Amino acid sequence: MTARRGAPGLARTTAALALTVAAFAGTAAPAGAAPQPMGQCTTSSGVVLAVDFSHWGGPIYRSCGTTPTTGYELLNQGGWRTTGTGHDGPAFICRIGYSGHQGGKQYPTPQQDDCVLTPPASAYWSYWHADPGQNTWTYSQLGAMLYKPKPGSVDLWIFGGTNIEGTQGRPTVTPDQLRAKNAKPTGGGPVPRDTRTAAPLPPGVDTGPAPENPPPADPTTPPPPSPSLSVTASPTPSKSASPTPPPTPTPTPSATPSATTGSPAVAAPGPKVVDAAPAADAAHDVGSWVPAVVTGALGLLIGAAAVFAAKRRRRTE
Amino acid sequence: MSRTSAATARSSAPGLAPDAGGRRLPRTLHPVAWWIWALALATAVSRTNNPLLLFLVLAVLGYVITMRRTEAPWARGFKYYLYLALTVVAIRVVFRAVFATGITPHDHFLFSLPHLPTPDWYAGIQIGGPVSLEALLSAATDGLRLACMLCCIGAANTLANPKRALRVLPGALYELGVAVTVSISVAPQLVQSVQRVHRARRLRAGRSKGLRALRGIIVPVLEDALERSLRLAAAMDSRGYGRAGTATRRSRRTTGALMLLGMCGLCAGAYGLLDATAPMLLGFPALLAGGLLCVAGLRLGGRRITRTAYRPDPWRAAEWAVAGCGVLSAVLLFSNAGFNAAELNPSIYPLSWPTLPLVPAAAILLAGTAGFLAPPPSAPVRPGIPAQRTEEST
Repeated sequence: MTARRGAPGLARTTAALALTVAAFAGTAAPAGAAPQPMGQCTTSSGVVLAVDFSHWGGPIYRSCGTTPTTGYELLNQGGWRTTGTGHDGPAFICRIGYSGHQGGKQYPTPQQDDCVLTPPASAYWSYWHADPGQNTWTYSQLGAMLYKPKPGSVDLWIFGGTNIEGTQGRPTVTPDQLRAKNAKPTGGGPVPRDTRTAAPLPPGVDTGPAPENPPPADPTTPPPPSPSLSVTASPTPSKSASPTPPPTPTPTPSATPSATTGSPAVAAPGPKVVDAAPAADAAHDVGSWVPAVVTGALGLLIGAAAVFAAKRRRRTE
Repeated sequence: MSRTSAATARSSAPGLAPDAGGRRLPRTLHPVAWWIWALALATAVSRTNNPLLLFLVLAVLGYVITMRRTEAPWARGFKYYLYLALTVVAIRVVFRAVFATGITPHDHFLFSLPHLPTPDWYAGIQIGGPVSLEALLSAATDGLRLACMLCCIGAANTLANPKRALRVLPGALYELGVAVTVSISVAPQLVQSVQRVHRARRLRAGRSKGLRALRGIIVPVLEDALERSLRLAAAMDSRGYGRAGTATRRSRRTTGALMLLGMCGLCAGAYGLLDATAPMLLGFPALLAGGLLCVAGLRLGGRRITRTAYRPDPWRAAEWAVAGCGVLSAVLLFSNAGFNAAELNPSIYPLSWPTLPLVPAAAILLAGTAGFLAPPPSAPVRPGIPAQRTEEST
């Protein structure tokens, strides 16, 4: 991103510059990506993240994030956490967990997939997008760290198998079942700072491959804010040093079934859709260093035994 | 291979070791026993990514090699395998740092490399950029696992006599005489050649360190190792290896067809087992059919070759014990009995201390008992030391 600025002759300066800027980019997270309560996502701002836990009997959780973001950041904020594989690093999403679901347990569990090698195409988290106005899912052609969702779009992660083109194993829910329906933010929280708001689509413009069910744009009836939304309106990220601590630091967010919003799409048969409020990260246990010390001692013991035996053999020879 | 060793075991079962007054007579263990032990340990290593277990495997390998290696030239070569293992780890770490896999806000930032921008259509591969501690650690543990497997093979090459290992190959493989000989003996020969060339340079007061010396060593070493392997193959060829003998053209063709079909079946079966989307028929059935065809081909090929052994390698209790403890450790690691499978692959993202699961650690230590289950190697006969004294002292 920076080398384009450097002239060919100033290689050293460019390298130094690239080093500093890259260091800056590495330490500081890109500004703007923040978790939001679900009511902050509208048809034209914020991104809805939906994760389908129905493979393990759970609901579809959906939450909201501000837009200059990547699919990976969206999935690693507000209580969401992912695990990569040992082979591909964190960029390959192998496990997903939400601190409000089963205490932050990540799925698939280590017993189901050890996440050492790339998971098989028959059982992995596949990544789907629906741009604003579209009611069909697009299989992501980019990884979660590279894809930048548009404002007003929906990101969905489902667990299962697909073929390489993504024509099989499509999600059973439609984007409209998950999409934010309100045109204005609700819930009383701050308006998401959105620098790249896409122009709202004029009615009748076809953006995708034949959307069968265009989103119902009815700004007259915003969904009534559910009682829990007002409580958890301010996101409570665990590690951010916010000057004003929220009055109710709720590590276990109260998830409200969005069936109360009265949208006809949600009432359709299928997995339950539950709003996941921004929550604190699930506690991570670093573990104890005792096993490492024990192994070191054991290794030393074995080494000493070998050296002793070798010395004795040399002496007797 | 197992067929041959089983036959050897049957033929030599009555010949028990003579009584040595409570002390075991020094002898060399059957090479196949060492190979089974080492391959089983390598299989066990492939199961785990836990650095503690991997270090334990390295310690066990070092212990067994110190205890039971002979004074033969190929038996001094373990350090070269260790260098190779270190190189593997270093290459993995460097590649992971250069071809960055991305950094997340939760990671521990270490340093940053100059970032080369890649065009949009080349998305997915980043060159340079920030490097996290987690990325380097995961690359190092991944490399360590490969390094451990390399060291297992190195241990087999160090402990087993390569020429005796060659003798127990199934008769049908003699058809491939030269290829098999070179492929099995090239690693021990390389080690020998490195030592010879190094010594020769030292005698001529040449430089034995540095990049210039490396060039002076590598070329003669490669030439020497390949030449010696070819010479060995030629020597074996002149003694009847790789000869069709009295076989008719038809039986030779049948053998060839059986072996080819069997190998195809084995490949298809392995593919079917590894790829979860492959049809079920391609998995175990293909593997089984391929294995059966291969066995039939080997039998047919081996039947027409008559071999006599001058000094057959016995397969006694010690061989069973060494091969058994290796296999048992692999079985324990794959059985998931008594431990949590997640402990074999501790998480790097987020960083946490690895645990030492008891059963796998005990399994690896069990493999280490080969260090005293195997009989001590016979002491070298050195000029100046009377043979009687050597026998008494060891």
